[in-house]
Amino acid sequence: MTAGLRSARLPFQDRFGLSAGDLRQVLGIALARGGDFADLYLEYRGYSSVHMEEDIIKDTAESVVMGMGIRVIKGDQTGYGFSNDLAFDKLSRAARAASAIALTGGAAKVRAFGKKPVALKLYSNSEPAHAASLSKKIKLVQEAYAAAQKHNPAVVKVAASLQDMVQYVRIVNSEGLSVEDARPLVRLTCLAVAEKNGQRESGYSGGGGRVGLEYFDREYTPRDIGRDAAREAVGLLEAVPAPAGEMPIILSPGHSGVLVHEAVGHLLEADFNRKKTSIFWNKMGRVVASELVTIYDDPTIPFFRGSYAVDDEGVTPRKTCLIRKGVMTGLLQDRLSARLMKKRPTGHGRRQDFTCWPVPRMSTIYIAAGGHDPEEIVRSVKKGFYADRFQGGQVEDSGKFTFSVSSGFLVEGGRLTAPVKQATLIGTNIDVLKRIRMVGSDLTFGLQTGTCSKEGQDVPVSDGCPTIQISRMTVGGSR
Amino acid sequence: MKPGAAAELRSLAQALVDFGRSKGADEIEVSAGDSTEFTVDVRRGKVENLVEAGSRQAGFRVIVDKKTAYASSSDLSRETLHRLIGRAVERARLATSDDFAGLPPLAGADFGIAGLRLFDPRVPELDPAVKVKLALETERAALADKRITNSHGASFSTHVTTGVLANSNGFLQDYDETFCSLSVSLQAGRTGGVVEDFWFSSGIRFQDLAPAEEVARRAVERTVRQLHPRKIKTQSVPVVFEPLQTSWLMGFLFACVSGVSVYQKTTFLADRLGDLIGSEAVTVVDDGLLPGRPGSRPFDSEGVPCGRTVVVDRGRLRSFLCNVYAGRKLGLPATGNGEGSGVSPNNFFLQPGLKTPDEIIASMDKGLVLIKTIGHGLNPTTGDISRGAFGLWVERGEIAYPVSEVTIAGNLGQVLKDIEVAGNDPETQTPVHGPTVKVREMTVAGT
Repeated sequence: MTAGLRSARLPFQDRFGLSAGDLRQVLGIALARGGDFADLYLEYRGYSSVHMEEDIIKDTAESVVMGMGIRVIKGDQTGYGFSNDLAFDKLSRAARAASAIALTGGAAKVRAFGKKPVALKLYSNSEPAHAASLSKKIKLVQEAYAAAQKHNPAVVKVAASLQDMVQYVRIVNSEGLSVEDARPLVRLTCLAVAEKNGQRESGYSGGGGRVGLEYFDREYTPRDIGRDAAREAVGLLEAVPAPAGEMPIILSPGHSGVLVHEAVGHLLEADFNRKKTSIFWNKMGRVVASELVTIYDDPTIPFFRGSYAVDDEGVTPRKTCLIRKGVMTGLLQDRLSARLMKKRPTGHGRRQDFTCWPVPRMSTIYIAAGGHDPEEIVRSVKKGFYADRFQGGQVEDSGKFTFSVSSGFLVEGGRLTAPVKQATLIGTNIDVLKRIRMVGSDLTFGLQTGTCSKEGQDVPVSDGCPTIQISRMTVGGSR
Repeated sequence: MKPGAAAELRSLAQALVDFGRSKGADEIEVSAGDSTEFTVDVRRGKVENLVEAGSRQAGFRVIVDKKTAYASSSDLSRETLHRLIGRAVERARLATSDDFAGLPPLAGADFGIAGLRLFDPRVPELDPAVKVKLALETERAALADKRITNSHGASFSTHVTTGVLANSNGFLQDYDETFCSLSVSLQAGRTGGVVEDFWFSSGIRFQDLAPAEEVARRAVERTVRQLHPRKIKTQSVPVVFEPLQTSWLMGFLFACVSGVSVYQKTTFLADRLGDLIGSEAVTVVDDGLLPGRPGSRPFDSEGVPCGRTVVVDRGRLRSFLCNVYAGRKLGLPATGNGEGSGVSPNNFFLQPGLKTPDEIIASMDKGLVLIKTIGHGLNPTTGDISRGAFGLWVERGEIAYPVSEVTIAGNLGQVLKDIEVAGNDPETQTPVHGPTVKVREMTVAGT
């Protein structure tokens, strides 16, 4: 018995206890004072987790998130209300709150629901986590835990967790759209702490995606997840402090996608460009990177954590080319920015939950594979820094960004030598993109465990990157 | 607070405790909350977003045979809540029995809630038009400065919450809180040389907020001082942390003195209780009982009364901050820092000193005043710090020019020992805070 909901087969209408007529009426109240557009976002989410530490199954958790968000758009203004109570009077009150944005002017008509976007098939769910037994989930967590613990006697502490959820959404709008999506999401993570001579280091790994528990039989087994977390922690015990200063950088394949996410992705979200706060706002069609660089954001990669069959505004997502051979070609659009910029939405309007309105977000962003042999890229650097694994990063609209390397290597004479501890890399995005000298043929995607924060909203994301050489960047080590 | 919210939530929580007991829970804890939020974002003189909404949620912890399960829901139908509790009892049986698990014993009945002044009756009554006007005025005042070239907008928001906690040891308490905040975020400079920053004023009471012009003035000043930055060479120099920078340093220290991290050994301070870990200038306190302050609360999420804990006393590590579980595991007292299954800070701060920030800067031959940092770069297991940094370069005791695209690096263990002086200017708007501090030496990486 676990995390289950009412049967997954249950029609959405029954799940939320609201008929199409009720929903049209709420939209009518939302637009009663005027407005160009209104939409409703109904969400029912079941979440469950198992946590193991100190050799015991310490606790399990289950939660239900249910509610509706109501949005009214008038020009470039948004009114928003939400309620966790789906009683009609509560929804009417939330709709009236949202309607306050439009005090004058004509209102859009509420059309009958009929339009349905194309439904993409992106989720693998042959063994749905929300229907699996708790003992099966406990077993997966125990496997990862044991693998980390047994990897090396230096491992002194391990923690492992499995989190899964299924999110049912129904989105309807005043233009007659009505669409539903049932999104699975699973993540198994492991943290290991290793100790030697009083010095402690931690390592981390994990996997998952829009998948069921079958993922852990094949794609990335609990055993491998535990081993990789332990391996990173143990490896760091031998690591030296990172160097400080400007030097050539090699980015490892996969994990380095964080750099693309921070350096490029956020500032190509349409809202920052519409408001002219992003460094990219006047650079469409211009050279913003080395000609070796082509960058996509693709919400339609099957089974990925960042993927979705429809976005949170009911738009069918599209693989979007942001930079082609160094030239800026696209933005990540939601409905509002697309409407104001007279572009097509690209299906990147996402929200954390029903309490939030959608904003343009990334899904899976990656640098396309290039033509260089990864080994040749390492050989090309006489003295520099190889960034291997990452913790995350941050960017400001001016283009200054950082990302944190949790472990790396010194590069000396074209070879990886000493392992190196945590360091932050900093740069200005367009400068760094122009300094990309080599792009490997080995495009790899990072851990399927990432979460991105923007304006207080967290959404699951993925990223990818081949091996890359950057001619120079500042490494924030301590020696 | 909606009229009657506290009474409704109290009876709901008590009924759920009784229901849990009847389903076989040895112990059960129920929290229930009602929150109302209002936010207005304005940008370039116009309302951009307007949000007004209320919501409720409930959370449970169930213990059966010293085995724990959690659940929460924003669907408050009785059917759902009963189903979740019933299943939590079932799930708990599959966890491992743990002698340290369990609720705290019943604390005394008087929490002096009124004296904490966490609720301002004016906040729920505020006219939305007043809130919109404040945000507009703040942004207008900032944009009036010709050096400001763009705006991320200004926001005003209010939160009104009622929280109830009940458990099977007989605990049943509630309290109301208000919070309001006014902020503006700006850009200066032209393409290629854009700099940005923000300022805010926040507090429990509406009357605590700074005037719109003051918030705008600080935001403008903080933004334009970064214009025309230079890069500097990699070097080790003294670093002065402005109060908001000391805030994240204290946040990082909190993560390292969390009792949960201590038993998990994910902090470099795990074996250092009683040791000298910092300089004379370092006294750090966690205090949940400061009246009218946003980090105050009468009791924590487990019903343990909050209090005042000296964490570091003139450099010596005196306490770890523990929830009930971590306290039992480590043989230390629970400090009123419980938050769900983890811990959170109350008002957690570095005690201010006597020097003004200007005196501190004047005492420095050369070095960096740290004004903004970005990125993650904090590792509690090792204490390592490495962050993207923006600052002001100091030469012969005076600010010479702004610096950007550098990083600062060091180790919290060393930084605490190297804090030479704490200023007299704590920024108390945030629960985790501190004054200006001067650190003897850190690595600044540039070209």
